[in-house]
Amino acid sequence: MLVGQLLSAGVELTLNQLLQLDPDCKPRLKKLAGKQLQVSINELPWSLLFIFSEQIDVSALPATNEDQSSEAQAESSADCHITLSLSTLGELSDSSKISQLIQQGKLDLDGDINVAQGFSNLMKELDIDWEEQLSKYTGDVVAHQTFSSVKAFFNTAQQEVEKLADQLSTHLTQPDAVAVSEIEVADFCDQVNTLRSASDRLEARIDQLIALQQDDS
Amino acid sequence: MSVSEHHAGTDTSHEQAPESSEKTHFGFQQVDKNAKASMVAEVFQSVAAKYDIMNDVMSMGIHRLWKRFTIDCSGARAGHKVLDLAGGTGDLTAKFSRIVGDSGEVVLADINDAMLRVGRDKLRDKGIVSNVKYVQANAEALPFPDNSFDIITIAFGLRNVTDKDKALKSMYRVLKPGGRLLVLEFSKPTSDALNKVYDAYSFHLLPKIGELVAKDGDSYKYLAESIRMHPEQDVLKEMMQDAGFEQVTYHNLTGGIVALHRGFKF
Repeated sequence: MLVGQLLSAGVELTLNQLLQLDPDCKPRLKKLAGKQLQVSINELPWSLLFIFSEQIDVSALPATNEDQSSEAQAESSADCHITLSLSTLGELSDSSKISQLIQQGKLDLDGDINVAQGFSNLMKELDIDWEEQLSKYTGDVVAHQTFSSVKAFFNTAQQEVEKLADQLSTHLTQPDAVAVSEIEVADFCDQVNTLRSASDRLEARIDQLIALQQDDS
Repeated sequence: MSVSEHHAGTDTSHEQAPESSEKTHFGFQQVDKNAKASMVAEVFQSVAAKYDIMNDVMSMGIHRLWKRFTIDCSGARAGHKVLDLAGGTGDLTAKFSRIVGDSGEVVLADINDAMLRVGRDKLRDKGIVSNVKYVQANAEALPFPDNSFDIITIAFGLRNVTDKDKALKSMYRVLKPGGRLLVLEFSKPTSDALNKVYDAYSFHLLPKIGELVAKDGDSYKYLAESIRMHPEQDVLKEMMQDAGFEQVTYHNLTGGIVALHRGFKF
């Protein structure tokens, strides 16, 4: 019974910790102060109610079962209520897609769309200086060196992956032609189309000849 | 005392143990009714400073989830007026304050001034000032006009009230029509096995933890005893109905160790 509360506590703690790491987000959060956003995910037995003030409080409202379910839903005072499935959740990070998702029937929105867009922007525009955060614990030098090393590692890894893909592609197509190139596939498709047209024409001509023969007899 | 709490008066009628009209229980002891409030007050005076940490230690942090569940069932919204009775160090008040916003109001009431002071200092340190009022009040005779509040909560406080029936009637009086009362309180575990484990924990381990952390084993012994003397789920439900509340329901939490009762005034 308390799983919903554990979930909402975890979400609340994470959101507020993230917001604290970006002091510039306060004006955006202030715009939402006093608003409430309810998010119902079809696969979960609770709705999450996000209450905006100088921080974000999260409540878990039972969405199914028990007498309180319909009651809790009915008495929800949210300014905006979104209902969606887990698979659509990831697409919410782009607030410009909300209208598109509604049109596609992937998302049901009741209330003020600005609240949903405001929350989406608040989280998307978070600009957290992780290097600075690490430096609080390790000092500037260690933090800088750590992040430089991590960045260098990722750059090198990315270059290596690209190089490997290139080499693989060359080996597959050139000496022994294990795989075909894109242009060869296109050419093959064209040939198939030409053959299909020719066979259609032949079929039509045969039909015509049969019809003529039947007329003569 | 801790997930134990506060105080608000004294108890009578529906108690599980028989008692004379002049006597009530203080834990397992029978004491004069007039003395219980001051005895409870002494307990909380003694534990106020270590109250929050003891709640976390004794409940392993689960009291936070119980309180969250209470708030989730409260239906609180912007503009509401909430009474957090026996509110102790203000856990519920802090969250209610943000939910009701500047257009609403939360009154943190406790009979014990030491607890109230700790709560006020804690909330002020968190920057919660604009919409919270502090009132030292006895739950049996609430100093508010009729029909004042949209929501009343009493978390781990009713147990310590001397006359629970009188307190419930007083809460009913100050609640607005359409408003609701939420009583979060220790109750009776629903399984025998859990009951045995719980007994062993509360009568043997709990006073030792109290002695170790808060240097006050006696207060925590009182806590364990007072929990056993508190009316179980269905009895409390009846008491709420007798006081006038309608649509009274309860939800057992953590196997019935704690129960949340909810009733409406129409």
